[in-house]
Amino acid sequence: MVSTVQNSDVRQKDVDHAVVVAVTSRALFESDTEEDGDGAYAAGVAFPLLQALQRVNEQLLQRNPAESLLFDVVLMTTDSQQQQSSRFMSSTRHHGLEVTRFCFSSEEDFIESLLKNNIQLFLTTDENEVLQATQKGVPSVLLDEHSAVCSSEQLRVLFCENAIIRPSSDPTPASRQAAQSFSSQLGKMRQKFGMFDSPLCFTLVTLRGGKDSCCGALKALRSIGVSVDEAYCLAGAPRSPILSLLRPHFLLSDGFSNLDD
Amino acid sequence: MSLSSSQTLTISGQDLVKNGSRAPREDARAGLKPSTPTKKPQPPKPENAITIAVSSRVLFNMEKEQQIFEQQGMEEYIKYQVAHEAEPFRPGPAFSFVKALEAVNTQLRELYPESEELFDVVLITNNHAYVGLRLINTINHHQLFIERFCMTGGNSPIGYLKAYHTNLYLSADPVKVHEALGEGIAAATMFTPEKMTEVSETQLRVAFDGDAVLFSDESEQIFKAHGLDKFFEHEKAHENKPLDHGPLKGFLEVLGKLQKKFYAKGQRMDCPIRTYLVTARSAASSGARALKTLRSWGLEIDEALFLAGAPKGPMLEKIRPHIFFDDQMFHVEGAAEMGTVACHVPYGIAQRIPRKGVKDKETSQTVK
Repeated sequence: MVSTVQNSDVRQKDVDHAVVVAVTSRALFESDTEEDGDGAYAAGVAFPLLQALQRVNEQLLQRNPAESLLFDVVLMTTDSQQQQSSRFMSSTRHHGLEVTRFCFSSEEDFIESLLKNNIQLFLTTDENEVLQATQKGVPSVLLDEHSAVCSSEQLRVLFCENAIIRPSSDPTPASRQAAQSFSSQLGKMRQKFGMFDSPLCFTLVTLRGGKDSCCGALKALRSIGVSVDEAYCLAGAPRSPILSLLRPHFLLSDGFSNLDD
Repeated sequence: MSLSSSQTLTISGQDLVKNGSRAPREDARAGLKPSTPTKKPQPPKPENAITIAVSSRVLFNMEKEQQIFEQQGMEEYIKYQVAHEAEPFRPGPAFSFVKALEAVNTQLRELYPESEELFDVVLITNNHAYVGLRLINTINHHQLFIERFCMTGGNSPIGYLKAYHTNLYLSADPVKVHEALGEGIAAATMFTPEKMTEVSETQLRVAFDGDAVLFSDESEQIFKAHGLDKFFEHEKAHENKPLDHGPLKGFLEVLGKLQKKFYAKGQRMDCPIRTYLVTARSAASSGARALKTLRSWGLEIDEALFLAGAPKGPMLEKIRPHIFFDDQMFHVEGAAEMGTVACHVPYGIAQRIPRKGVKDKETSQTVK
């Protein structure tokens, strides 16, 4: 069973033009602990990401109050947490989060809920959910404690070759297409900001190939409307020192062919 | 299609550790053809290599673009760069130095094919990735072997310098150089001479000033505070006490390490690396302490030139180093005037009490 409740505190987005992002209640809130007094849940690992998304929206609307290319954030809750649903809703309001809708479903139906709500990016702390959603062509991100220390001021997206990430989940044509169109949407958003002080920042990292595969990746991204701000070509150098400096909120891998392989 | 948070990427970093810098497949390919001159060698692992980080403005001539940036702002600068993407930049002051490093690498690879003790040139620039394609096109055009780069889009390069275990950082921006020195990274601000004298394509020549470059500025402090006579007295009295080390001692050390590899293969007389000390100290007196200090560090320098205060320009013009390091702008300018690529090491007392040059040049404001 799938149901949706609108958040009356927040202006609804134009779903035809917005970039719909779903976050699970487990990722957004620490439902094991309570904030003092008012019974609202404490912030979870997804908080900085959500705040960064909100900041992008703020800045987009500042430039154009009629802007429709915005992030539309929905909160997804499955069965096992249904009894806490009203607490999730009140916690959302308590933290002033720009969540437009609350989507409730059973665990079996959550994929249906993702597809029904036209989710273009799914944020969760559950690896199984990521696998399932990815298989159905919904770009998904596994959040963890690293996400909690990312910036809440600037959304940092990392584009990286897909050769290394979880080889068990081979990209289906549908998921590749979905990720590409999501990237293009982000690219369009980025164009609305200048070089400095952009609330949205794109970084390209090529891990193994040399400058020519980085060159290919830059061109491939450009062809789908994404101009990156920063680029790092590691050519086999250890990745964690560099990644720990970059602190991306999430990675997008677009199947850049590694020319040297 | 997979997306992940940075954590997943870090976990799966294990496979990079397995592969190392030479993927197994490439080893197999190399095994089949014992000498493949057209096959590109893999860059060495940063912890094994001698990493030289250069900024885009010292590697290439970007004067025109820099002017556009200063006069018309960032957006126009980016527009210009993208419009000229297919047009390679001309070589900058660090170009011949980088070419010489590559020449040394070629010779090292011949003598020690398995070793990763090689120079690794990394481009670390503040530029936005929008300029990336033009930079890559230029690297390809000039056939430079630079496979690693960081285009930080305005963020500080310091973290990346550390991540690459940088042995020497060259930039046109004195602010970044200063920051790097503060973090213990050997760094110098490189200037473009009006004309650049021809330098060797087969032998790397590196010239160093002594005080406040290889050595600490302790003696220079005495000179500034108490004058020349006191300086001589002090140096004579402490002749056998090694000076403390300066910011570029480490770089001389790695050069010496590579030199020994050539000596081990019988290439002492025609070593592809040659080092010079070009100091205002005098051979008769204060020079002894400098040489004894080097000896106490176990370091050799091929030629020590004691100028006893004479200008360095003419001597450097004879030596033709690919690069010269000095802590005093007076000497840097003097060297540049005579066609030497000279770099300023903004370290020590000379920065607080500078000696006025003939031309009181202001270092230009830069963002890159």
